[in-house]
Amino acid sequence: MSSTYAATASAALPSENSTAATATKALTVGLVGLAVTALGAAIMPDRHGPVMSYLVGITFCTSILIGMLMLILIHHIVDASWSVVIRRQFEHALSAFKWLFVLFIPLLVLAWVKPGFVWPWMDLTHELHGHGTVGADILYQKKSGFLNLNMFTGMTLAFFASWVWLSARLRKASFTQDSDGDIKWTFMNRKTAALGLPIGALTLSFAAIYWVKSLEYHWFSTMYGVWFFANCVRGALAVGVIIMIWLWNRGDYKGVLNTNHFYSIGMLAFAFTVFWAYITFSQYFLIWNANVPEETFWYNLREVNHDGSTNQWWYVGLVLLFGHFFVPFLYLLSYKHKVVHSKIKPIMWWILAVILVDMCYNIMPVLKDGHGDSLPFISLNLLWVFTSVVGIGGVCVWSYLKSFPTAKLIPIRDPRISESLTHHE
Amino acid sequence: MAAPSYGLIATFDTTPDLYHAAEKVRDAGYRNWDCITPFPVHGLDKAMGLPRSIVPRISLAGGIIGFCTGMSMIWWTGEVDYQLIVGGKPLFSPMFAFPVSYELTILFTAFATIGGMLFLNGLPMHYHAVLKYEHIRRGMDDQFFIVIETRDPRFNLANTKALLEKAGGKNISELEA
Repeated sequence: MSSTYAATASAALPSENSTAATATKALTVGLVGLAVTALGAAIMPDRHGPVMSYLVGITFCTSILIGMLMLILIHHIVDASWSVVIRRQFEHALSAFKWLFVLFIPLLVLAWVKPGFVWPWMDLTHELHGHGTVGADILYQKKSGFLNLNMFTGMTLAFFASWVWLSARLRKASFTQDSDGDIKWTFMNRKTAALGLPIGALTLSFAAIYWVKSLEYHWFSTMYGVWFFANCVRGALAVGVIIMIWLWNRGDYKGVLNTNHFYSIGMLAFAFTVFWAYITFSQYFLIWNANVPEETFWYNLREVNHDGSTNQWWYVGLVLLFGHFFVPFLYLLSYKHKVVHSKIKPIMWWILAVILVDMCYNIMPVLKDGHGDSLPFISLNLLWVFTSVVGIGGVCVWSYLKSFPTAKLIPIRDPRISESLTHHE
Repeated sequence: MAAPSYGLIATFDTTPDLYHAAEKVRDAGYRNWDCITPFPVHGLDKAMGLPRSIVPRISLAGGIIGFCTGMSMIWWTGEVDYQLIVGGKPLFSPMFAFPVSYELTILFTAFATIGGMLFLNGLPMHYHAVLKYEHIRRGMDDQFFIVIETRDPRFNLANTKALLEKAGGKNISELEA
C-alpha cells in the first residue's frame, strides 16, 4: 500500500510549482548573500574579515555535502535498509558539489593573485610574528613539499573532482534504477562505496588540512581530519532531519516515513555527537597534557591575549563544549526528543548553528592584531560569515531543489525499499 | 481442580488474529498477561498497550553514577589521599579525570543496562507455568498464544474466558501454577 503511494508520489507532487518557486527564491537569496559578501570584501578597509568569513562559509557548506556523500557511501557499503527512503534527498543535495567548486574558484584565484592573503604560508616573504619570514622558517621549509601553491591548487581540484565524480556515479546508478529496476545499479553503488570511502576519507582529511589547518602551518594535530569528518556527518544528519520534516509537512513523505526513521537518524545524530566530543576532547587533552609550546600556541591563541587576559575565543570554546556536546547529548538521550518532529527539529538547527561556530573557532582566530592576539569573535566578521553562509547555502539549496523533481521521491526499485518503508526498531 | 491456577491460555492460528485479540485484551484493561509468538510481531507491543521500557532510565542512572565515581576517585586520590605533582599539572583537573570518568560512565551504563534488564524481565527463569501446557511447543513453531494470569485484578474465570472466546481464542484452558 505504502509503496503504491510512493510510486505515485512524484507524479502527484502536491507542489511541483512550489518547488520551482522555492528554488528560484533560494537562488535569489543566495546571490544576494554572495553579493553582500563581495561588497564587504570590496569596501572594508581590511579585506581579510570578509574573505576569511567566506572561507568559513564554504568550508561549512562543503562539510555538510561531504557528510551526505559519506553517509550514502556508508549506506551502500553496509547494505543498509532503513535509510533507503532518506538517501534520495542526500543524492539530490550532492548535485551542489559542482557549484561549491565554482564558489571556491575565487579563493583559488586569490591564492595565485595575492599569495599569503588567506593562507599566510603562500607568501614566502610574509613576516612571522617575531621570527623572520615564512621562507626562512625551518618549519615551513620542511613542509614546503606539501605546502606550496601548486600542491594546494592541484589537491583542491582533486578534492572537488573526486566528490563530483563520486556524486555523479551514485546519482546515476540510483536514478536509473528507478526506471529499469536493474539490480546491477545496486552492485555498482556498492563498488562506488568500496572505492569511494577511502577516497572520501582522504580527500576530506586533506581538505581540512589544506583549507583550515594550514592557516597556522606551525601547528599539527592528527585528529584534525577526523574532527572535520565528525562535523561533516553531524551537519549532514541535521540537514537530513530538517529535509525529512520539511517534506513531511509538505505532504510528500506522509505514508513513507514512520517514527522509526526519525528514531534511527536521531540515534545516529546522537552517536556522532559523542564521536565529535571524543575527537575534539582528545585533541585538546593530548595537547594540554603534553604541554609542548609547538602545539599549545594554537589553543593559547583561542584562550588568552599576549598579556594573559582571557579573550573572547575562550568563551567560544566553552560554547562549543556545552553547545556542541552537552546540550545535544543530553537532549538527544530522550526517545521522545528523537521522534517527535517539533522536538527533533530545533536541536538539528542548533547543531547546524554550532557547527558554524566550530568552523569560526578553527578559522577566524588566524586574524590577528599588532600584538599577535586573535581578533575578537564578536565583530563585523559575523555579518560576513552570515552572508557567506546564506550565499553559498542558498546556491546549495537551489541546486538541491533543481535536482528534486528530476527523480522519484524515494528509490522505488531499490531492493531494500519495502524493508525501509516498514522500518521497525 | 484443587491445584492453584496460573491463568488462562488461548490459542490463535494467525498473526492478525493474535494482534486483534491482544487489542481486545488491552482494551478490557488487563495488566498481567502476555503473548507468546514464534517470532517477533512488529507493532504487537503497541497492540498490547505496553509502554516503552524503563531500562534506559536505569542506564542513565548507571552512567551518572559511573561519571561521578570516576571524577571523585581521581579527585580523592590526587588531591586528598596522595598529593603528587606530575608534569607541573594541578593536583586535580577534570581534564585528566575525564578519560577515566568517561570509561566508567560506559562501564556502569553497561552494567546498569544489563542488570536493569535482567531485574525487570526476571531472567534467568527456570520455571514458568506455561511450560507445563501440552501444546506450548507450537508457540515456537506455528501457533500463537495469549496467557492471562489469575493475579490480574480483573481476572474472573468466566468473564476472562468469555473475553478470550470473543477475541477468537481457541482451546482455552486453565494453566496449573
